[in-house]
Order: sequence, then C-alpha cells, then structure tokens
Amino acid sequence: MNTRDRAHHLSRAATQFPFLGETTAEILLALLEHELGSAVALDDFVSRGSTFVRAYGPCAILHIISGNTPAAGLQSLIRGLLLGAHNLCKVPSTGMPELAHFRGGLPQELAARVEISTELPGDWMARADALIVFGVDATVAHFRARARADQLFIGHGHKISFGAVFSDPASERVAAAARDVTVFDQQGCLSPHVFYVAGDARAYAARLAEEMRRVEQRDPRGPVGVSAANSVRSMREDLHFRAANGEPVAVWASEGSTAWTVAFEGTPGFPLSPLHRFVFVKPLPADMVEETRHVKPHLLCAGIWPATLENARAVAATGVTRICPIGEMQIPPWTWRPAGQPALASLVRWVDVET
Amino acid sequence: MSRALPEYLELEACVLEALRDDLGETEFELLALNVHRFQATWNTPYSRWCAARGHPRSWREIPAAPQSAFKRYKLSVAPDRVTRTFHTSGTTSERRGEHHFVDVRLCAEAVRRGWKWLQAPTARLLVVAPAPDDAPHSSLAYMLSVLAAGSSAAQFFVSADGRLDAGALVSALESAMHAREPVGLLGTALAFLNFFERLQSRKFALPPGSFALETGGYKGSGRDIPKPDLYARFGVSLGLAPADIINEYGMTEISSQFYTRGLGLPHEGPPWLRALVISPEKGLEVAEGETGFLRIFDLANLGSVLAIDTQDLAIRRGEKFELLGRDPSALPGGCSRAADEAMRGQ
Repeated sequence: MNTRDRAHHLSRAATQFPFLGETTAEILLALLEHELGSAVALDDFVSRGSTFVRAYGPCAILHIISGNTPAAGLQSLIRGLLLGAHNLCKVPSTGMPELAHFRGGLPQELAARVEISTELPGDWMARADALIVFGVDATVAHFRARARADQLFIGHGHKISFGAVFSDPASERVAAAARDVTVFDQQGCLSPHVFYVAGDARAYAARLAEEMRRVEQRDPRGPVGVSAANSVRSMREDLHFRAANGEPVAVWASEGSTAWTVAFEGTPGFPLSPLHRFVFVKPLPADMVEETRHVKPHLLCAGIWPATLENARAVAATGVTRICPIGEMQIPPWTWRPAGQPALASLVRWVDVET
Repeated sequence: MSRALPEYLELEACVLEALRDDLGETEFELLALNVHRFQATWNTPYSRWCAARGHPRSWREIPAAPQSAFKRYKLSVAPDRVTRTFHTSGTTSERRGEHHFVDVRLCAEAVRRGWKWLQAPTARLLVVAPAPDDAPHSSLAYMLSVLAAGSSAAQFFVSADGRLDAGALVSALESAMHAREPVGLLGTALAFLNFFERLQSRKFALPPGSFALETGGYKGSGRDIPKPDLYARFGVSLGLAPADIINEYGMTEISSQFYTRGLGLPHEGPPWLRALVISPEKGLEVAEGETGFLRIFDLANLGSVLAIDTQDLAIRRGEKFELLGRDPSALPGGCSRAADEAMRGQ
C-alpha cells in the first residue's frame, strides 16, 4: 500500500474522531510534503537537485501512551501508520478504547500494523526501532534510559498551557475561552490552566464564569474521583480564605459540586490549576516570559486573542511550541510540531543516491 | 501584651481539665463552641474567614480553616505572645506551614494524655528521630520527646542532620534482649525502613511487651511501601507482630494525635479530638463507608484554630476513619504534576 492509499484510509478512519480536527488525505499528504519535501518520498526515490533521495520510516514504533486524553495517542498512531510503520501501542492500564475503534475503521492491511496492549509485552522494546513516549517526566526518563543507542527516541513529558487575552473589550472570545477549558474536561496538555487578561481581568473572570456555568448546563463535566474533587475543593478553600483576608482574589464556582471554577488572582506567577474545569484568570503581565519563567520547560501551547503576529511575539519566547487563537487550543493542526521538532521528519531515515 | 491572654489562660484551664478519657459529648460541645468563639474573636485571619459563615450551633458546624492557611497566615490568638512555632516539612523553596503556640503546655499535655488514653504498653523508649533540641521546629520530634520524657532512660538515635546511628540502636536492642527488658521503638516509617535496610539479614526477637510506634509517611523520599509490607519487615527484623505496632496520625497543624494498632483497623482519637469525613463535592459528612476528606477538631489547638480542613482522604468508619492519606492523584493533576515539582525546585 503506498503513501497516498494510506493517507486516504487513515483519513476515513479519523472521521469517527472529530476531536482530531480536519484530517483529510490532502492534509496528511501536505504534511508529508511539508516535512519531507515530497508526499511520495516514502514510496520511491525522488529527485532533489543533482541527487535522488528516498525516506524510510521506522519498521516498528513503540508508542507509550498516557491516559489523559485519546487525542495525543491517536495522532501518534496516525503519524506512525502514515510513515508505513508497524505500531506497538502500550495504552494505560485503564485502557483507551479509541485506539481499537480507530483500528476497526482501517482496512486489514493497515489494521494488521497496529497492536494494542495495556501491558508492555517483553519483546516490544526489542522489536521497536523508534520509541515515542508520553507521560510524566519520570516515565519519559525511564524509557529514555532503556532505549538502545540505535533506537530513535521522542519523549513528551508533562506539559501545561495558558491563554493570553491582549484585548477583548466586548468579551467576544469568552465562549471560546470556556471551550478551551472544558473540552476533555481540561485533562489534555493543551488545556489552559490560566488566562492572562489585559484590562479588567476580574470582570473578564466573572464573564468567563457565566460561560462556564452555561457550558455545564448543556455539556456537564464527566465524573471525577473523590481525590480529584478534593484537590478542587482544597484549592477553592485556599482562595476563599485569601479573599476573606483581603488578598486580590475572587472565586466563581458551581454550587454543591466541583463541576466548574473560575478564580481571579491578582498576584503574579503562573498558577497551577487542579484541572477538571478549574481555570485561573490573572492580569496580563508586562513581560510574559518573566511571568512564566519557572514553568518554561513545561509550557506547550499559548492561546492568544486577538491572534495577531504582534501578540504572538509576546508569548513566543515563553517555551511554547504552539500559539493559536483562543478557542482553537484543543484542535492542533497536523502541521504542528509538539516537541518543537518535525514530528515525521524526526522519524525517517534518508537514503541519498548520487548518479 | 495581648488582650487575649487572660481569656486564653481561663480557657486553657478548662481544656486541660477536659483532656480526659471520660470527656462527654455535651462538655466537648460547650468547650468547642467556647474555644471557637474565642478564636473567632482574637485570631484575626480566622475571624475574617468566619465573618461570612454564621454562628455555629454545634461543634460540627464550626468553620474549619483550610490547612493551607497555615502556610500564608499567622494563625494565632495572640501573635505577639507566640513562644514556640512548629514548621511543616518541605523543601527550602516550598512555602511551609507554621503552627504557632502561645504555650506548648497544652500540646504536651494532649500528647501525654492521648498516650495514656491509648493504653500503650509501658517500656523503655528508643526514639528513631532527632532529640527536640536538634529539631526545634519539628512537631513530631516534640511529640516523641514528650513521650520519651515519660520513660526512664529513653534514647534518641537520629542526629540533627538526620543521620541514623544504626550501631547505637543495634546495641540498645541487644542490651534489651540480653536483659529481657521490653522496649518501645518510636519513629517515622521512613526511619524504620532505613534501619531495616541497614540491618540487612540481622534479626532481633524483641522481648515480650515490646512495641513500635510508626508515624508519618515517606514525604520527600520518593519511597513508599504498602503498610502490610512495612509491618512484615517489623516482623522479620524485630520479631514484632502487627498487633505490636501502633500507627500515629498527626500533623504539625494539630496538637493531639489519632492512633490505630495493627492492620485493618480504623484510626481513633481521644475524646477531645474528633474527625468528620466530608464529601469534597457536597461539603457534607459522607455516609458510613464512603470516602471524603478529613475535617479535624482538636480542643488542644486553643491558641490557633480548633477546626481544620485537611487535604487527607479517609473512609468513614462510624466515629472513626480509615486513613487513605493524601492520594497522589490529589496533587495537581495530569500534566501539571511534573511542573509542580519543577516549580518547587526553583
């Protein structure tokens, strides 16, 4: 099966998963064109100046997939299949049914290139010539230490994201901001912990709270364990105590549940949310890089509004690898390079022919 | 001089009188409400917290301060009369909780009488923790020193810099075995684990009547072993059965202690120390057998805050609770955990 056929089959199977965003065959082929310089370089030699080049994908990729959301795991698998690799997918012990559903939408020839297991079979590390690991930093370090020198290794440690509202006087983007928080119940690495807002950030927080309340009515948060609920409760209490003591803090929250929380905090620093639809709003600092300096290695995505190049420049050096309009944070395009390096080109080996 | 002091002294006498095994519900109720009224008057950060929360009609309704408030505010009824402060553990960059005492007399008495209430065996105490002078801000070292002071010839085996003198402890155990004199070993679970590892294959069979009191977790050590495994190590290395091992549950922010013995039994405190298991979703007490967070009421916390919402989870077992501790997933979830660690390292 050539690359073009694989792209078509992958595109068809991806239609079951709207959260992957637009995933047409044309987009996947354009991705190859973008990263490899040709959509057919995986099938045969292509001319490049005075030489011919051909790209070979890994024979087998071991994907270690974390349990936060199915999006990252599915994207990784789709990239592996697009490269023509066999894919060994270690999913969390709690399972990730989306991968098996996706495999079910593939023709037999492609489906046979996907193995899924909640355990890590003993021979998978040996069989793989590339490792892609998602997880806490300790998990990434664990596999990095065990990778062979000849194995390609791509690690995705834990990441966090934020939004920056440079101007939104009519609050036209508040619903979009709420969407970024509530999709996947804030469990994804692209989920914002905080929105930094220019102007009256406290008023913006109040409007965001209204929107969070509306979202909860039409699309309630999924169930959470007592431990997660307790972390939300605990953070709310801490903020309420500070507010009672005159600190520049305010909390808007669902009553009788931990379903959603918006917390305004007027002090500097990057606040870590307990997630599960709990978002901070803070005044936009003069220097975003300084404000986020202590979390720089963990920053992934900045949602901004208005989405102009000028505003992007203010957050580009924070450590993120993606800047997008607020409201689009959860739908990364296929051309995005999550680790800041080409996602496909990092996995292929080139053969150059001089004639 | 703090204007709260005369009332503090009056209430201190009442609380001291109440630290007894037969303290009844009505007396606890009245005293708890009195202590709360006193604290809501004089403890400024707490009184601001209480302002919007109405007047409690029973001890169960007393507004609890979040445990985290001890990290940000000086929670004291007489901040200018603080004589002793205990700190929570943590890295140097992490904001630490501070529990301030007008006088530790009440705290010491709560420790002593709680131990008496527990009816722990009488034995010479070997403390696998620093002496209080070596760890002046540790509430645990203080508590263990109070217990040690009630035992003849108690010894401490951890230096100020945290090093365990395993050789001296081995000698003390050998002497006890030789003299057939029961001993009580007191320390953190981590300290015991370190000791067992130093012992390697060496085994003791401590004289009958010996016991161990283990407390705390493995905070900051990156280690955690299940309680049955730890207790099995006590059996192998010291010859102690699970029933000979007491677990203490306390925290810097409270003055009294909860205890349980062996495996599979819930924690319980003396009558002046109560706990409710609260649903984090609803804010109400959970039903029997359900899980929630612990809200603790300690009469001996006279100088700070009587009622505290902890971050620890537990299962309600009647008036007692089965401790689950601070579940790792209660930390900032998902992607943020590593970042949390990174930030602490700044």
